[in-house]
Amino acid sequence: MFEEPIRKRNLFSLTPLIDVVFQLLIFFMLTTSFLQSQTLTVVTPAESKTQLPEDSRVVEIWLMGNGSMKVAGKPTSPETLSDDLKQAVGTRKDITVTILAENGSKTQALIQAIEAARGSGAASVGTARVEKLER
Amino acid sequence: MIEFDEPTPRRPFETMVPLINVVFLLLIFFLLAGTMQPGEDVDVTLPSGQVDDRDTQQPLTIIVEKDGFVWLGKSVVDPALSGYRIGDYIKTSNAVAVAIKSDAQAPAESVLRLMEELRKAGVKQVTILTEPAG
Repeated sequence: MFEEPIRKRNLFSLTPLIDVVFQLLIFFMLTTSFLQSQTLTVVTPAESKTQLPEDSRVVEIWLMGNGSMKVAGKPTSPETLSDDLKQAVGTRKDITVTILAENGSKTQALIQAIEAARGSGAASVGTARVEKLER
Repeated sequence: MIEFDEPTPRRPFETMVPLINVVFLLLIFFLLAGTMQPGEDVDVTLPSGQVDDRDTQQPLTIIVEKDGFVWLGKSVVDPALSGYRIGDYIKTSNAVAVAIKSDAQAPAESVLRLMEELRKAGVKQVTILTEPAG
């Protein structure tokens, strides 16, 4: 009788390695997040509207409770806010943009207003919350 | 002389090596490309924005929920009622910079109230987290 040829065994088995690598892969797939957030530095608001300056050098953005916006009294939309504000500020360098948020206005609108104010070339930006804006 | 056919060596059903290569590649990708953040219990949809100040420091994060309630670490407060708790929280954590992680639909009033309290508590810099638009 012939002896069975001795099978050459692998030096080491790959199976446990693959098990571990799969575990690690699944762990990293579940725990990593690719959500990139950006930061917007803001000026802390005044305690009330009365602490903000009120004269010809102030352009006001009103955030109404129903979601609409007004720049210097004129109605605007989130899309046209930036352009309208630039027009209201004009080329003057001493303009203060004041953002007044009525009860019921949303954070998204506030962010849009702050960004528009930043891009308008105004000298400073102030924010305040008010119970109700006069229409 | 009788000639025997050489026994053809039996190949493994499918070789594992390319699989392992791909898995390793994925592993290294997730290791390098992802950032690990501690999970939060609050579901917040960040407001979208265009401006990025690239403030890379990791300050204290305060979350404002969709209904306007504020999360100070593990506890929830209504900013309209308990401003002193916010001041207290800032004092105990000794923060001078605070990041506000607010829901896009949260009342602006809550965020502004929170910012007022932060200023009263001596916070020097407040940033609002947004996500890139589009």
